[in-house]
Amino acid sequence: MSKYKAVIGLEMHCELKSNSKVFSEGKNTYNEIPNSNVNPVDMAFPGTLPVLNKKSVYQAILMALVLNCKVPSYLYFDRKNYYYPDLPKGFQITQMHAPIGTNGYLIIDTDKGEKKVLIHDIHLEEDTASLDHYSDASLINYNRAGVPLLELVTEPCLASAEEAVAFLEEMRRIYQYCDVSEADTKKGQIRCDVNVSIMDQDAQELGTKVEVKNVNTIANVFETINYEIKRQTELKEAGRYDEVKQETRRFDEETGTTIKMRDKQDAIDYKYFVEPNIPKYKIAEEWLSTIQNSIPNLPRDRKKEYINEYGLSEYDANIIIKDKDYANYFEECVKIGIVPKTAANWLTVSIIGYLNKEDCQIKDFYLTPVLLSQIITAINDSTISTKQAKEIFNKSLTELKEPNTYINKDNAQINDKKELEEIIITILNNNPSQIEAYKNGRSNLFDYFVGQVMKETKGKANPNLTKEILKEKL
Amino acid sequence: MLNKNILELHNLLINKETTSKSLIEESLKKSHELQAKCNAFVTIIDDAKESDITKDLISGIPYGIKDNYSTKGILSTASSNTLKDYVPFFDATAIANLKKHGAVAVNKTVLDEFGMGGTGTTGHTGSVLNPWDTKRMTAGSSAGSAAAVAYGVYPFALGSDTGDSIRKPAAYCGIVGYKPTYGMISRYGLFPFASSLDHCGVLTRCVEDAAIATDAMKGIDPKDMTTWDSSDINLYNSLNKNVQGKKLFYLKEVVDLENYPHATEELKQHLENFHQTIEKLKKIGIEVKSETIDKRLFQTIGSAYTCISCAEATSNMSNLNGIIFGPAADGETVIEKMTNYRTEGFSPLIKRRFVIGSYVLKKENQERYYLNAARVRRQIVDIMKKFFETYDGLILPVSAGPAPFLDGSRKETITDDIRILENHLIIGNFGGFPSITIPNGFIDNLPVGINITGNCYKDADILNIAYNLESILPYKNQIAGGVDHE
Amino acid sequence: MSKFTKELVESYANDLLFHLTDEENELVLKEFDEIEKNMEEIASLPNITDTLAMTHTLDDFSFTLREDEIEETPDIEDLLKNCKSIEDREISVPKVVNNNVE
Repeated sequence: MSKYKAVIGLEMHCELKSNSKVFSEGKNTYNEIPNSNVNPVDMAFPGTLPVLNKKSVYQAILMALVLNCKVPSYLYFDRKNYYYPDLPKGFQITQMHAPIGTNGYLIIDTDKGEKKVLIHDIHLEEDTASLDHYSDASLINYNRAGVPLLELVTEPCLASAEEAVAFLEEMRRIYQYCDVSEADTKKGQIRCDVNVSIMDQDAQELGTKVEVKNVNTIANVFETINYEIKRQTELKEAGRYDEVKQETRRFDEETGTTIKMRDKQDAIDYKYFVEPNIPKYKIAEEWLSTIQNSIPNLPRDRKKEYINEYGLSEYDANIIIKDKDYANYFEECVKIGIVPKTAANWLTVSIIGYLNKEDCQIKDFYLTPVLLSQIITAINDSTISTKQAKEIFNKSLTELKEPNTYINKDNAQINDKKELEEIIITILNNNPSQIEAYKNGRSNLFDYFVGQVMKETKGKANPNLTKEILKEKL
Repeated sequence: MLNKNILELHNLLINKETTSKSLIEESLKKSHELQAKCNAFVTIIDDAKESDITKDLISGIPYGIKDNYSTKGILSTASSNTLKDYVPFFDATAIANLKKHGAVAVNKTVLDEFGMGGTGTTGHTGSVLNPWDTKRMTAGSSAGSAAAVAYGVYPFALGSDTGDSIRKPAAYCGIVGYKPTYGMISRYGLFPFASSLDHCGVLTRCVEDAAIATDAMKGIDPKDMTTWDSSDINLYNSLNKNVQGKKLFYLKEVVDLENYPHATEELKQHLENFHQTIEKLKKIGIEVKSETIDKRLFQTIGSAYTCISCAEATSNMSNLNGIIFGPAADGETVIEKMTNYRTEGFSPLIKRRFVIGSYVLKKENQERYYLNAARVRRQIVDIMKKFFETYDGLILPVSAGPAPFLDGSRKETITDDIRILENHLIIGNFGGFPSITIPNGFIDNLPVGINITGNCYKDADILNIAYNLESILPYKNQIAGGVDHE
Repeated sequence: MSKFTKELVESYANDLLFHLTDEENELVLKEFDEIEKNMEEIASLPNITDTLAMTHTLDDFSFTLREDEIEETPDIEDLLKNCKSIEDREISVPKVVNNNVE
């Protein structure tokens, strides 16, 4: 890629979280039973009409503002007309003429530093039904029909697969932090179309744009882009750049390649026109500012805060903001007085390690920040050792009993100087020859005495105090 | 008994001089009679059950439903082969509201397929004949409803109106046709033709019945975003004798005979009759003035309407593919099945309109066709709203005369001369204006009508003017063929 | 000479998922010429392109958006009772091969 540079644009579809669908009162929740979340509107029975969900509009505006977009003064929708068995109305209600957000940007962190990603627009639309394919038939399930979708379209401003993935990851986090979507690729909640072209490093004119549709995981976006760059570069190198066509392709997961679907000239004319059944809705300034004020602290801001104010390493900060629930857990720890670095350490090592091993969510994690603080307090006031802390952490999670249950007198450290002195004097009295040898220069016998104290106290003696007394007595 | 109006029937019911059951029986009997004579119904609901008589004026009273309203458990075809076996599981909001008020549906009436026609001859069950003269058309698309109300099957029937589909057949059948302001009656459950032009409405034999029926149907509906709260409007209670100082206008370019150098005898009589009606209005204290318009602009109403309505229709009817409802067609692939269903189901006329609608929406054509049409609509609506700052309503004759012959022996070709006269009712749909047609005379023993259209939300005013005009004309409550006319 | 051809009309019909007979096709062609004439009339109106296209019926319509509440799903029997090809709770169609129109 030294001779050429890539120009990449993304279209990212994300399913929104709400009780009901965007244009009907049908349920918008995942349901394994087919056709159990369906309203007559979703199946386009004759005479049914769209009824716009306020929550979806709120979420769409929220995201438009997060992406620094211009929001129109009136909200309205368009029909995108085409025929397909997964589209019961024969058109999709979307926003073509006046998207909810236009001309925005988002700053992201990449390996090469900050990057400003330009947003062409973001618009609200509805999802289609889903088709389940069997050997001899396809079955139509309308549960997904009418689920709110936000489609985000970037300008062709990304330069590599890494940048594209960094942007998508950041967007996924933002959706989660703003609580507008679970943004779970496993549930098909995020789907992307990718545009890729290449051009000479010093060229002014863009190359031929190839569009790859329906790339359904972020990892596949990465592969798609790299495959397309490679394919287009090889053709260009071979003097066959005219074979790079302005066309629509799809990603084939099995082979890791892209396959041609249709030529540009076969592009469907969607015959867009304004949806007359949804009146123009005036977006009140007041509502806009309410929404603006409800934007939560976003992951990138939180990361900065963790590094600059809490002194975390960028590495730790990155791990924590990866998941909104991690970040919230961390912030809760700090709020109840745990030293940020200590909290980060526990979270990034023990807790996330445990969650990964057990394949569970931090939301369901038994040791809440308050419970965790029992262990941390015990370490801080030297009631337990770090080794004991680790044991208590595990025991607490296995038996689902709070850490304090295990932090009691019985296994508490012996911190009492008098008590330790008595034990040490007894030991010294029983070992006159070793004292003799020590005094004659065998300094490594000091550890032998420490070991004897630990043996006598079953490891509960405060090691520092023990050493201190021993030095004194010897 | 059913030649009486709602109030009369209600009083008989309240005083136990008749019962809901016997009214329904009579209505069903008349339905079969008219079906044999005029082919007005897709379905006659022979097992219709009487309902309790309450204070509600329409309780226990039979009525008819145009077959493009969704009716729970009752075949609803839109007079199209594409829905010839469709039995909905939910009621249109207007129907649910009438049910709540105790009215009893006794039949589903024939329309031009999906309301896309003005003759009453394109339904899948065949042409509807005019009960005044069965060689004539009723006009459409609310053809069966108009014929049935005119024949005295019941005091009211539901219609829908996208260009003139209530108001024109009402005129040809000598009855009242009223289309309220857009969004006053919910369209939920009305099979759409062109959503921005479609209106629910009613056909009756007197203005009072139109007010009563509409009061029962209207109201804001959470299932139709274009509806509005009209709870402070009671059309029936607003009818009174007070029309002093009300101001109407007509369009000189439409009603002055000098605009029609080739006027037929029919047209001359029709316009003369119109002017006589105007004189009568003036006598009851209503001011009527002549206004002029840009003829060039108003002559394009029809083509703008074709463009907009076909565009919306082709999209609205894309849900008709035989997958979820309708008589499924054969086919190897799903697209083939959908194609065969649509090829077999839609009549040639509808297909033509779809092709036009699709053409005007194409990316490269939108600007010149669809958007220009929508701009004509804007200009005309703006001009009307300007007039409505001065006037309470526009008054014009309906069409160029009485109902034409079904066999086309009086050609329906719209010559340039009568283009505005034939198309002006569309103005009501362009602007969502309340608009009412009432009978105002006879030509060749056939009824003709006059139309009053007012500004949005001024339904009560328009109805009241029509109510007062009706009271000084001898056509109130007339039954087809049942009166000696002047 | 009309810019419309039989083939063009045919392709429009195909896009709309139906076929036209030759006779129907001819009628469309005739109608197109008529429409072309009428639209030319509109295009030549003064100030037409400066006018805002009217897309919604009521001007300055104010309303509230629907709250995010659900309505129970109708019985599956009702949803599918007009459908001719059912497999358990779903509608069955011939296998869709190219799953990528949109």
